[in-house]
Amino acid sequence: MLELRGVRHAYDGRTVLELDAFALAPGMLTAVVGPNGSGKSTLLRLLALLERPTAGAVLLDGAVVSDARRRPATRERRRVTLVEQRPVLLRGTVRDNIAYGLRARGQSAAAAASAAAAAADRLGCAALLSRRRHELSEGEVQRVAIARALAIEPDVLLLDEPASAADRAAAQTLYRTLAEERARRPLAVCLASHQLEDAYRWSDDLRALADGRLSPVTPENLFRVVLPPASADGMTHAPVGSLAIALIADRTGPAILAVPPTDIFVSKAPVPSSARNVFSGTVSRVARHRPGTVHVTGDFGVELVATVTEDAARELGLGPGAPVTFAFKASAVQVF
Amino acid sequence: MDPAPLRQHRRGMDFLGDGLRRAFNLLGSADAEVYGIALLTLKVGCVATVLACAAGIPVGFILATKKFWGRRAALTVVNTALAFPTVVVGLLLYGLLSRRGPLGGLQWLYTWQAIVLGDVLLAFPVAAALSAAAVQGVDPRVRRTAETLGAGPLRAAWTVAREARFALAAVITAAFGQTVAEVGAAMIVGGNIRGATRTLTTAVALYTAQGDFGLALALGIVLLLVALVVNVALQLLQGRGHA
Repeated sequence: MLELRGVRHAYDGRTVLELDAFALAPGMLTAVVGPNGSGKSTLLRLLALLERPTAGAVLLDGAVVSDARRRPATRERRRVTLVEQRPVLLRGTVRDNIAYGLRARGQSAAAAASAAAAAADRLGCAALLSRRRHELSEGEVQRVAIARALAIEPDVLLLDEPASAADRAAAQTLYRTLAEERARRPLAVCLASHQLEDAYRWSDDLRALADGRLSPVTPENLFRVVLPPASADGMTHAPVGSLAIALIADRTGPAILAVPPTDIFVSKAPVPSSARNVFSGTVSRVARHRPGTVHVTGDFGVELVATVTEDAARELGLGPGAPVTFAFKASAVQVF
Repeated sequence: MDPAPLRQHRRGMDFLGDGLRRAFNLLGSADAEVYGIALLTLKVGCVATVLACAAGIPVGFILATKKFWGRRAALTVVNTALAFPTVVVGLLLYGLLSRRGPLGGLQWLYTWQAIVLGDVLLAFPVAAALSAAAVQGVDPRVRRTAETLGAGPLRAAWTVAREARFALAAVITAAFGQTVAEVGAAMIVGGNIRGATRTLTTAVALYTAQGDFGLALALGIVLLLVALVVNVALQLLQGRGHA
């Protein structure tokens, strides 16, 4: 439905996003995760047709709608909407705000107000309809902004850290509302988040961004490093916090390291193996991932995440504070 | 105190006091000439402000929100034009409107329309530069929000303008102030003709030169009252201060 093709985006000559391909499909919830400054918000602004890519194109239903020369038409922009990380409410009441997009589409004031009330009800902010922006908390502003976006029934909904100001209950309400909305119609949703657990739980597709590029692996265990020259045995030892991660690299200088959680071998104590990276520490968290698997976060001075089966976690007695050893081969470390 | 400077000081106070007394007598007696001059000033000021803002505020919006080649140079030109001397504008316009000038066919020289034209040229940079600054002061998320909710260019600009309404009202006030307060261009292209092109500022200049201090002061007070009335009207139009 909405896709980026061969996109490069730069601010003042500095490239902040470079993607060969990125697509959103109807009815799918795609989560984009990555550290601050990884390019998530830029990606969403390009998808929202608010900015034009420096190179490459944005396509809607297979047709180019935005590139360095083509400015998207208003009718094309109206199919996509973005809720920013720190959304701003416009002058007027919450009702005026939620009705804004509908009024822009030519709906009468009465019809827009009625649709606004329905959208506010779905997000649990019906009681706020007569309030103005200075009378709302940050979390309420975020909820109103999402209601405002849903009210216009877009084909693509883009959310930048939608639950950053929400408490747990409000975040669950938000994700449930999105699920109901997607069950009702083929809405494509793309959300940028740093909350991996929510992303895993609610998304159909998970992408990781690092330094403006899509990471080929899942978003855990991504580290920005400066690669030193290889030692005499051909191995590079990259400093990551207090750890030195052994890896095989054919270059030096700035790079992103990725250690796939499924490539980490977990044990209670070190065991003899061919793994060049063996770190002992304690379990800091255990979170259910998909049915049958759990994410084990170990604290080794630096946090690393490994994926194990629920059975293995139970047998190893992996709980917060338990001793644990993570081991992985130098060849498992991906450098990009 | 030495008697000579004291006498001089007293004469000055009498002069000012007489002037003020004369001013209030003129205002109270509904002097037709004074009110005629005031009405012409108000007409010229309003027409010139409307024209200058109608052209200048959209230009300010474009300078503040669009990226195009030469934008910074255009901003510099507009900001520099804020300091354009009124007599120089008057001279240039005189050259254009005089019988042999390129706009001589309009036969506007020494008419109130010529004064309006001069005032528009002077107030346009005020409207453009200050509205550009006002729009640049609005949170950029406001425009992005309007656009992502489906607003077209005009609705998005209107939404931004609503956020900047206080600053934009100040732009209109400043443009009006420029039009009613300038004397150089009005004197040169208007000619200060009694009953036709005599505005408050040109009349003040004339009567001061003629030594009719009371009348000059009366007209100065009327000028201040006109500015006060227009400012109060603009404040009422802005509405209340809530978000």
